[in-house]
Amino acid sequence: MAVNHEVAASVKLTRTDRLAARIWKSRLDYAFLIPGLLVFGAFIFWPMIASFYYSALNWTGFGENAEFVGLANYRELLQDEFFYAAFRRSFAFMLATVPLQMILGLILAIVLNNKLLRLSTLFRAMIFLPVVSPVAVIAIVMVLMLSPFNGPINGFLLDAHLVDRAVDFLGSPQIALWTLAGIFVWKWTGITLIYWLAALQTVPAELYEAAKLDDVKTRQVIWHIVLPMIAPFAVVIGLISAIAALNVFPLIQATTQGGPFFSTEVMEVYIFRTAFAPASGQFPRLGYASAAGVLFGLSIMVLTIFQAIAVRRTRRKEAEDV
Amino acid sequence: MSNRIYAGLSRRTLLGSAAYLGLAMAAGRAFSQAFGDGGGLPPADGSLRWLDSGGQKGVFIKEYLTKYGEARGIEVVYDGLPWKEIASVLPLGIRNGSAPDTFNLPIGMEPSVAISEGWLQPIDDLIPDFDNWKKAYPNGSFVEGINVFGGKTYGFPFSTERRFNNALLFNQDMMNEAGYDHINADRALTFDEMREAARKITENSGGRSFGFIIGGAQEPRWGNTATMLAQRGGATVGSSGLLEGMDLKTGEFAFDHDAYVAGVELLLAMNSDRSVFPGSLTIIAPQAREFITQGAAGMIIQGPWNIPIWEEKTPNFNFGVSPGPAPDEASLDNPVWVMQLPNSTNMMWLNAKANNAQYAGDFFHWLGSLEGQLAYANVASCADPAIFPETIKLAQLSERAVTMLQMAEKRVRIAPNPFVRNPELSKVAAAYVDPTPNLAQAVQGLFAGQLTDVKATLKKASDARNKALDEAIAKAKSDGANVSRDDFAFAAWEETRDFGPEDYAKQ
Amino acid sequence: MSDTAVASSRSQKVFLTPRRKRQITSIILAGICAVWVYPLIWMIAASFKPNSELFSNQSMIPIDPTLENYIRAWTEANLQRYFFNTLFVTVGSVVITTLAAALAGYVLGRRAFPGKWVLMGLMVFTLFIPQGYTIIPIFQLLTNLGIGQSLWGLMLATCGHNIVIFMLLFAGYFTQIPKELEEASRMDGVGPVKTFWYVMLPLAKPIVVTVVVMQALMAWNDFLLPLVITLANPAMRTLSVGIYSFKGEHFVDWGGMTASSTIAIVPIVLLFLFLQRYFIDGLAGAVKG
Repeated sequence: MAVNHEVAASVKLTRTDRLAARIWKSRLDYAFLIPGLLVFGAFIFWPMIASFYYSALNWTGFGENAEFVGLANYRELLQDEFFYAAFRRSFAFMLATVPLQMILGLILAIVLNNKLLRLSTLFRAMIFLPVVSPVAVIAIVMVLMLSPFNGPINGFLLDAHLVDRAVDFLGSPQIALWTLAGIFVWKWTGITLIYWLAALQTVPAELYEAAKLDDVKTRQVIWHIVLPMIAPFAVVIGLISAIAALNVFPLIQATTQGGPFFSTEVMEVYIFRTAFAPASGQFPRLGYASAAGVLFGLSIMVLTIFQAIAVRRTRRKEAEDV
Repeated sequence: MSNRIYAGLSRRTLLGSAAYLGLAMAAGRAFSQAFGDGGGLPPADGSLRWLDSGGQKGVFIKEYLTKYGEARGIEVVYDGLPWKEIASVLPLGIRNGSAPDTFNLPIGMEPSVAISEGWLQPIDDLIPDFDNWKKAYPNGSFVEGINVFGGKTYGFPFSTERRFNNALLFNQDMMNEAGYDHINADRALTFDEMREAARKITENSGGRSFGFIIGGAQEPRWGNTATMLAQRGGATVGSSGLLEGMDLKTGEFAFDHDAYVAGVELLLAMNSDRSVFPGSLTIIAPQAREFITQGAAGMIIQGPWNIPIWEEKTPNFNFGVSPGPAPDEASLDNPVWVMQLPNSTNMMWLNAKANNAQYAGDFFHWLGSLEGQLAYANVASCADPAIFPETIKLAQLSERAVTMLQMAEKRVRIAPNPFVRNPELSKVAAAYVDPTPNLAQAVQGLFAGQLTDVKATLKKASDARNKALDEAIAKAKSDGANVSRDDFAFAAWEETRDFGPEDYAKQ
Repeated sequence: MSDTAVASSRSQKVFLTPRRKRQITSIILAGICAVWVYPLIWMIAASFKPNSELFSNQSMIPIDPTLENYIRAWTEANLQRYFFNTLFVTVGSVVITTLAAALAGYVLGRRAFPGKWVLMGLMVFTLFIPQGYTIIPIFQLLTNLGIGQSLWGLMLATCGHNIVIFMLLFAGYFTQIPKELEEASRMDGVGPVKTFWYVMLPLAKPIVVTVVVMQALMAWNDFLLPLVITLANPAMRTLSVGIYSFKGEHFVDWGGMTASSTIAIVPIVLLFLFLQRYFIDGLAGAVKG
C-alpha cells in the first residue's frame, strides 16, 4: 500500500520537481565546485562577457564617463592599419616560434632520452634554466647581450668577420621581431623538451634494444616507429606551445615595448598600449582595446576549434589503426 | 658638490643682498625649525607618496622630502621614474586607487583634461596662508588655463619653463678634434656643420664612438627634437602638448613646414652617414646620457638637466653646450619658444583621492617660499631652474650651469598660448583624440626607415592632426563651449620677444 | 669543436663503439648547453663588473671585480620587498589554485549532477583565450571589489590563469580511479569531505605536483597582471615588475640591474635544481594526463 502510494507520487512529479530534487541531492557536489567556480567565473568567464560589453563603449576607464557607442569601435578597428599589423605579427610570431621550438625540443628529447647517456639530467637542467628565469631578467640579459655597442654577441660576429657592422638586433624594424622570436624559443624550448620526454616515456624501451648496435637501424626505428607513436602528443604539445606563443607580451614589453615604430607590436602589446599606455597626448581607450581583444580572441577560438578537430581526427585514425 | 663654484664670481654677486644672505642661512637650518610645528595638520594616513620624473629635481625632492617626513613624523615615499613609465604608471594608479598623493602629469596630458576626468584637486585650501604665498611668486606663475582652472589653483609651480629644453651638449674633446672648437653658447652649429661634425667624430674614433646619439625609444624625444630644429629654422610653432607643431600665427599645425622637413632630413642624413649611435632606437634618454659619458657618442640634443648630473657623476667628463643647431648661418640667432613661464611638466599636481593632501600642501608651501626655493636652486641648478629668479643669483652654480641659464635668457622666448587667451579651450583638449602616428611617431618611423618620404609623411600627420582638432572643436562647441579655431591664431605676435599679459589684452 | 666531432664520427663510423658514440654525443651536447646557459652565466659575471666596465670590457671576466652592484641593488632597489611580495603571491595562489582545482576536478571527474556538461562545455570553450585579452575586465573587477591595488587581489587573479586546465587535469585523473575505493570508505562511514581529503587527494599526488609546479612557475614568471596592478605603487611591486622598473633616476644602472637579476633567479634556480624530479614529472603530467 505504502509502496503504491510512493509510486503514484513519483509519477505525479513534474520534470522541474525532479530536476530540483536532483539538484538538491547534488548539493554537496556544488559545494565542492564553489571555490573553483568562483575563480573561474571571476577571472575567466566574467572577463570574457565583460569584454563584449566594454567593447561597445567609448571609455577612458577613469570615472563614470563611459558612452555607449554600439559597434563603432569595431567599425573603426576594421580600418585601423595598426590593428591589422599587430594581428599579422602575432600570427607570424606564432608560426615562427612554434615549429622551431617543437623540432628543437624533439631532437634534444630524442638524444637526451638515452638512458645510458651520463649527464643527461644535467643537460636537461641546463636547457631548462631559461624557463625558470623571470622574463624581466631575460630581457635585461638579452638587451645587454645583443647591444650593437660592445655587446658580446656583436663582438663575436665582428671578430669572426661574419658581419662588417654591428647588427642592431632589437633596434632594426626588419629584424627586431625575429630576434624576439629567437629569444622566445631559447627561453621556452626547455619546457617543450620536457613535454617530448614525457611523450617518449610511452614508447616501450625494448624497441630501442633491437636497434642498439646499428646506426641505420636506430634511425629507422626512430623514424618509422617512435615518431608515429608520439605523433598524437605533437598535437597537444603544438596546441600548448601555440597558446603560449600568443602570450608573448611580457618579453616584448620588457624589451622593445612594441617599437621601434610599432615593428614588434603584437596583439597583446597593441591592446596594452591602447588600454593602458597610450602615446604622449593620446588617451587610453578601454572600449576600443576591448573590441580589439574580442576580435582577436574570436579568431583564436576559431583557430582552436580547427586544431581540436585535427586532434579528434588523429585520435580516431589512431583508434582505427589499433 | 666640490665641483660647483659660486656663481657669485660673476656679476650676479653684486645683486645678492643681505636679505638673501639671511635666507641662505635659513635654508641651512634644521628642517624642523624651518617648518615650525606644522600645527593643524591631521594625523598622517599612511605615507606621503610623491612621483616625478626624477633627474636633478628628484635628487632635491628625495633629500628634502625625507627630511620633511622626519620633521613631521610622516613616512614619505619618493618614486622617480622615466617619463615613459609615468605615462602608464599614473593612469593605472588613478584607476585602481594606488596613485601617489602628488605627481607629474604624463607628457602631453592637458591638465584641464585630467581635471575633467576627476584626477586632481585644487591646492588653494591646502596651502597655509594661500593668498600671501601666491603673491610672493613672480608675475605669470599662476595662469588661468595653465595651472589655474576656473579660478582654482591645481598645478604647483616651482621651476621655470624658460630653459633651453633641446640644447646641444657635446664631448668637448671630440668636438675639438673634429675641428669645431669654436662651438659654444654664442655660436651654434649649422645643419651642414652638425652633419659634418658627426661624421668626423665617428671617423676619428675608428669605430669606437659615434657622432650623435638620441634616446629614441622614448617617442616624445623625436617630436621635441624635430620641433626645436623647426623653430630654429624659423617655424613659429608651439613646443609642447597639444600645441606642439602648431603655427601660432595661423593656428594650423605645420609639421610639413620646410623647417620641419629640413630638421628631419638632418637626422636622416646623419643616420645614413652611419654617424648615429647604433641602438639609438632601443634606448631611453637616461641610457643615452650615460653612453655620452662613456665616450660612445659625441653629441646629443637634450636639456640642461644633463649638466648637474654629469658634473656630479662624472666630474672628469669634459663637455660643452651650445644652442641647438640652425639650418644656416643666417638663422643662428633665431629664438626658440616655450608656452608659458612656469614649467608645466615639472609642476606637481595633487591627487583628488590623496591620503595626505594637507601634508603635500604643507610641503608645497615650504618649497614655494623664498627659503624653499633657495634650497631648491642650490641642488637643481640649471636643470630645472627655480621659478624665483632672485634665488638663482645666490645659488651655488657651476660655470656651465650659468652659461646655460644665460643662453636661455638670451634665446628662449615665451610664445602666446591659446589656452591662456580662452580657458574654455580646455574642453577642446578634453574632446581631442590624437591620431596615430603623431608627430613623434612619424619622425621615429622615418628614422627607423619604416616610413619614407619625409614631406609626405609629415604632411599626412599634420593634416590628420588638423582634422582631429577641428573635430574636437566641433564636439566642444556642440557641448556648449564658446570656442573657435581662431582662438589658436595670434597673427600679430612679434616672435622675438615674450608674449605677456598685456599682449593678450591687445589681441 | 662540434664540426670536428661530426667529421670524425663520419670517418670513423666503423670503429665507433656505442660507448664512444655516447661520449661524442655528450661533448656535442655539452657545447650546446654551454651556449644555452651562456647568457645567464654572462649576466652573473657582469654583475661583478663596475658600471664603467660593462660596455668597455668585452671579456666576461671583470677586470676590477666589485660587490657594489649588489649593495646598491639590495639597499636602493627594495629587492627584499619585491622578493617577499612575489613569494606571497606565488605561495598563496598555489595553495588556492590547487585546492580549488582538486575539489572541482573531483566532482567533475566522478560525480553526475545537473548542469555538469554545460559547465564542462563552457570551460573548454574558454580554455584558449589568452590572458592578455581579458586584462581590462580583470583590472576593473579587482578595482570595483576594492582589491585592485592589493597583493590579495593580485594573488586571486593569478589563480585564474590556468584554473580550467587544472580542473580538467584533476577531472581526467579522478575518472580513472576505481569506484570501489570511495564505496569502501562510505561503508566505513567516512563522510564525503573526509573521503576526498584522506583518500582521493593523496591518490592524485602526481596531478597535485603538476598543478603546484605549473602554477608556481606561472606565478613567479607572471608579468602583465602584476604590471597593471602593482606598477603604480613601489611597495607592492613583484620581482619581475620591480626589476623592470629599476632604471635609476639619472643613468640606467646596468650593474645594479644585473645584480638584482642575479638575486632574482638564484632562489628559483636552486629550488628547481633541488626539486628537479618534481618539476619534470609535474610538467610531464600535463601532457600525459
